[in-house]
Amino acid sequence: MNGEQGMQMNGNEVIIETRGLTKLYQMGSETIHALAGVDMEIRRNEYIAIMGPSGSGKSTLMNLIGCLDTPTAGEYILNGTPVQGLDDDELARIRNREIGFVFQTFNLLPRASALHNVELPLIYAGIPAKERQEKARNALATVDLADRTHHKPNELSGGQRQRVAIARALVNDPSILLADEPTGNLDSKTSEEIMNVFEELHASGQTIIMVTHEHDISDKAQRVVTLRDGLIESHDARADGLLAGV
Amino acid sequence: MFVLEGIWIALQQVWAHKLKSAFTLIGVIIGITFLIAVITVVEGMNRYVQEDFAGSLFGVNTFTVVRRSRIQTGAETEERRRRQARNPNLTLHDVEVVRRAVPEAWRLAYSSDRGFDEVTYKDRNRRNIRLIGASEGYEALQGWEVLDGRGLTPLDERRGLKVAVIGAEIAEKLFPDVEAVGKEIRIGSHRFEVVGVWDKQGGLFGNIRDASILLPFSVYRQTYARNPSEVDQISVKMRSLEEMEAAQVTVEGALRTDRGLRPGEENTFWIETSSELLDTWDKIVRVLFAAIPGLVSISLVVGGIVIMNIMLLSVAGRVREIGIRKAVGARRRDIMIQFLAESSTLSIIGAIVGIILGIGIAKAVEAFTPMPASVPPWGIAAGLTLGLLVGVGSGLYPAYRAARQDPIVALRSE
Repeated sequence: MNGEQGMQMNGNEVIIETRGLTKLYQMGSETIHALAGVDMEIRRNEYIAIMGPSGSGKSTLMNLIGCLDTPTAGEYILNGTPVQGLDDDELARIRNREIGFVFQTFNLLPRASALHNVELPLIYAGIPAKERQEKARNALATVDLADRTHHKPNELSGGQRQRVAIARALVNDPSILLADEPTGNLDSKTSEEIMNVFEELHASGQTIIMVTHEHDISDKAQRVVTLRDGLIESHDARADGLLAGV
Repeated sequence: MFVLEGIWIALQQVWAHKLKSAFTLIGVIIGITFLIAVITVVEGMNRYVQEDFAGSLFGVNTFTVVRRSRIQTGAETEERRRRQARNPNLTLHDVEVVRRAVPEAWRLAYSSDRGFDEVTYKDRNRRNIRLIGASEGYEALQGWEVLDGRGLTPLDERRGLKVAVIGAEIAEKLFPDVEAVGKEIRIGSHRFEVVGVWDKQGGLFGNIRDASILLPFSVYRQTYARNPSEVDQISVKMRSLEEMEAAQVTVEGALRTDRGLRPGEENTFWIETSSELLDTWDKIVRVLFAAIPGLVSISLVVGGIVIMNIMLLSVAGRVREIGIRKAVGARRRDIMIQFLAESSTLSIIGAIVGIILGIGIAKAVEAFTPMPASVPPWGIAAGLTLGLLVGVGSGLYPAYRAARQDPIVALRSE
């Protein structure tokens, strides 16, 4: 791939590369092609939206990119590491270091404080308590929640909860921020707020992959990948980030 | 760190659901309570027998020659018991044989004793007492100490003075508010002057001393003995265990020679030591301790099953939490350790409650009965170790179920 070489010279190295990514499910005697061979590249500091109707394979693609699952066939290289064929614990390691998840339903531990929720990835990374708390506080400050460290999720608004989740996703300095319908449970005003947080993060250099079915959300992305029936239907480069300086 | 996470979650849960936790842990609590209560009482008895009872009955480094064994060890046969019943009485001649055999003895004393109905002073009386006629040195050999007045002297013996040293319980009963020393008491048809009172021994078997009256042997022999030439026991105290064992062999040989026993013939007397009593006690303790594990393990197994069920429910209710933890990087073993720490914490809390209750029961037994209680550190260690074992054992399967959750499924669960 000659283009890849050129892009790396621009400092936009490839951080995700898939080749013929395939995922099959066995439903009784029927084999379902959730992904039927996806080739894609994502570069550092790209802001990408993955769209598609339900059943198009976008959840499966997200699970594979997020290393929650392994492909049936094909290759997935994340930040230089081939991920296919890794076992559960190795995948956990990669999720811990490389990926920050933001979910539609926030997925915070209900009985833990905001600080403890943000600390969680650092606990599994084996970071000592003092350093952990400092990093978690900084991450909460990044999403303007420095004054909510000891609140439990049920003491926070939906937008605040999602910002805690974003802080948790960022705290380990992941290669990619993987957001799955991050505004699906929020009203439009709060959604805008959260989208602004993502834009700020992107502006400061974060790579963001966002799964969504809402066009006004995907409009913020530089590039939209649309899936249909387990295949990429279209690459739509908007504010084309692939062209350096634009 | 996941260990701390598990411990913290367990503590929060116990605190939030105190009643539910009490029911969850009841099996472990009962098992450990029983274990500690029994260990504590048996250990208390054990100490008491070894340190006080055996010593006060026989004295330290002391052996006693008697006609026949007074301790039923259960080891001797019916035939042997019948043979012992034919042994001749000990006499003052035997005392001389023993005295000549071990001139190096630290203390040597002989005595006879019998139960007696009643001792009176004016209109007060004490029933069921023990009269002991003893040679000089008997009190010192037994380690009995006179609290008021004096003990018996060689002069009392030589002159056949009608004097008595009395036990603390008798003194309390006859002389509740007057000085006992110098008063005249009546035992049967004879009068005796009280010259001394022993300090109170108390305890489970304390009445042996506390309800006794000591008279000069010569006086006892003339006044109360059924057979005047008879001596019930001859006691020899040495300065060390080795000396005692050597002296015991010497005395045995001397008595055999004196009685003309041929090699192979059984002794026609019996030598008692405190170790004989302790052997018997050890057997009892061993039986008790052999029975404990069975009883304790039944309730611990039941307790473990209850904890396992609660943990399975807990895992089922926290599938999403497991999914979140896995998504942010928890490996299987991290989840496993967290849930094992949780079940172990639960179980150890049960064990700690059990230990406290067990000690409480033992202390109550000590307070309301004469049985002593003593909490051995190894008993507490055993309780905590069992708690940990039950916790890990009952947590293994639920933790395994939690650890192998598929994160994708877990994150989608409600």
